[in-house]
Amino acid sequence: MNRVLLVLLLSVCLLAPGIGSANPNGVGAGEFDAQCGGACHGDADMNRSSSAIITLSAPNEIYEGLLTSITVQIESVETTESGMLGVFLLSGLSGSQDTPADAGWDIVSNSEGNAFNYLEIMVPNGRPTVEVTWTLKAPPVGEYSLYGAVHHGTEDGSEAPFYGVSPNALSVNVLQVPEDLPRLSPSFEPQIQRDIGEPTTMVLTTEFVTEMSIEWRTSSENTVTIQATKDSEDTWSFELPTSIQPGMIEWRAVMSGEGPEQTTPWFQLRSDEPAWEVDNMLVYMQSFAMLFALMAGFMALQKTLSGPEKKVDYGELMIPPGGEY
Amino acid sequence: MVSSNTFHVVSTELTVGSFAMAGLSFLLAILASRNILGLQSRITAIDTVAHATLFFGLIAMPFAIFSGVQSSPGGDINHPLLVNKMLLSTASLGLAIGVLASRRMVGERVWSQPYSRELQGIGGMAASGLILLTASIGGTFSRGESLLDIFKLPYETVPLMPLWMSCTVLVIALINLRTALQKA
Repeated sequence: MNRVLLVLLLSVCLLAPGIGSANPNGVGAGEFDAQCGGACHGDADMNRSSSAIITLSAPNEIYEGLLTSITVQIESVETTESGMLGVFLLSGLSGSQDTPADAGWDIVSNSEGNAFNYLEIMVPNGRPTVEVTWTLKAPPVGEYSLYGAVHHGTEDGSEAPFYGVSPNALSVNVLQVPEDLPRLSPSFEPQIQRDIGEPTTMVLTTEFVTEMSIEWRTSSENTVTIQATKDSEDTWSFELPTSIQPGMIEWRAVMSGEGPEQTTPWFQLRSDEPAWEVDNMLVYMQSFAMLFALMAGFMALQKTLSGPEKKVDYGELMIPPGGEY
Repeated sequence: MVSSNTFHVVSTELTVGSFAMAGLSFLLAILASRNILGLQSRITAIDTVAHATLFFGLIAMPFAIFSGVQSSPGGDINHPLLVNKMLLSTASLGLAIGVLASRRMVGERVWSQPYSRELQGIGGMAASGLILLTASIGGTFSRGESLLDIFKLPYETVPLMPLWMSCTVLVIALINLRTALQKA
């Protein structure tokens, strides 16, 4: 019994580091409050202040229900050796219910090609400044505050949970949409991901637009301008080049009409290898099944082959028990 | 505190080292049981080493699996190589437990009976081989290459059964296990 207890105790001790350690590989992009993005980083009793300087910027005019972009710039970036940095866009600093969605914003995409308020980026060694951009659908008319925050580890491997937040909130005034403003339809949802080799035709629904041109760019090339094709009264389409390797292409629409000319924020379209997904439940069940099948099969086979233990046959005794003839 | 990555490396090295030693010892045990190379007099020692190292590897293996899943990006199994690692390591775990349990049930005479001794040795070596294959996949995943790449093994192919089939196999295995234990 003592042995069993000892084995259990040692097992717990051995497992403890694995369970309690930090996440140097990150936790993956997601919809997180500042606290939940990493409990150690968000916990004021445990974390340390990041040296990063975080600033936010937004267009001057943001209209209710229309798409806009918010950029978070991070200077003096410090990360773990791998360069991983977690970046948040938040609507408050209370620690709960403080995602942009909680304040009425709708995240459409971000510069990493997903639609979450928290993302993780790899910062190349030596790069002092990074920028992350979110494209959002604006909430109803009113005054709103937005914050940027980061969390990360250190290169020395001490696993100290660093956390930093923008010192001042970005104050955003969401305006009523002017009657004849050329704009994308509020129901328009841009595509944010595609597979490599997949041709992409974007279809845009608009309001009060009489002419539209599209600008697209990749990280390594200059901006290219093309004319969108008018499919019907409020529907336009254009084609983006097929990607041959993983990467990002950004595009935006320049719309003309009776009202002032409007330019949408840059939309990100990420190209990836076709995603590989598996139901983890299937993997775990098959693992258990194989474990027990091989164990039981081997034991049964070995038991059958080895047979019962043979008793030593001494033959018929010449001298009967007791030694009497 | 040690990160799960470091812990995975440590537990993996313990597992692979122990299993490699066990695999070699099981090979020697088969030879000794057939009195090849005059090893028959050493059969008890070889038997002890083979099963003891297998047992030690068996203790280290769950930690390697657990920390491996934790240290994968996002803490999830989201790559064909990781799925194959999981399947191979649990297959090896099952086989190794079967080998050790059989040795305990049958005793040292497992090496004196035809077929039984070959099965015991091959079982032990197969468990070791599966672990070495798992380690090779780990090398391919983290470094992009491994020693076994020369065999061009289909690491990216995932032989995944439907859930109902896994459940059926599991139920049959548990019934089989109960029968095997009753025989003992």
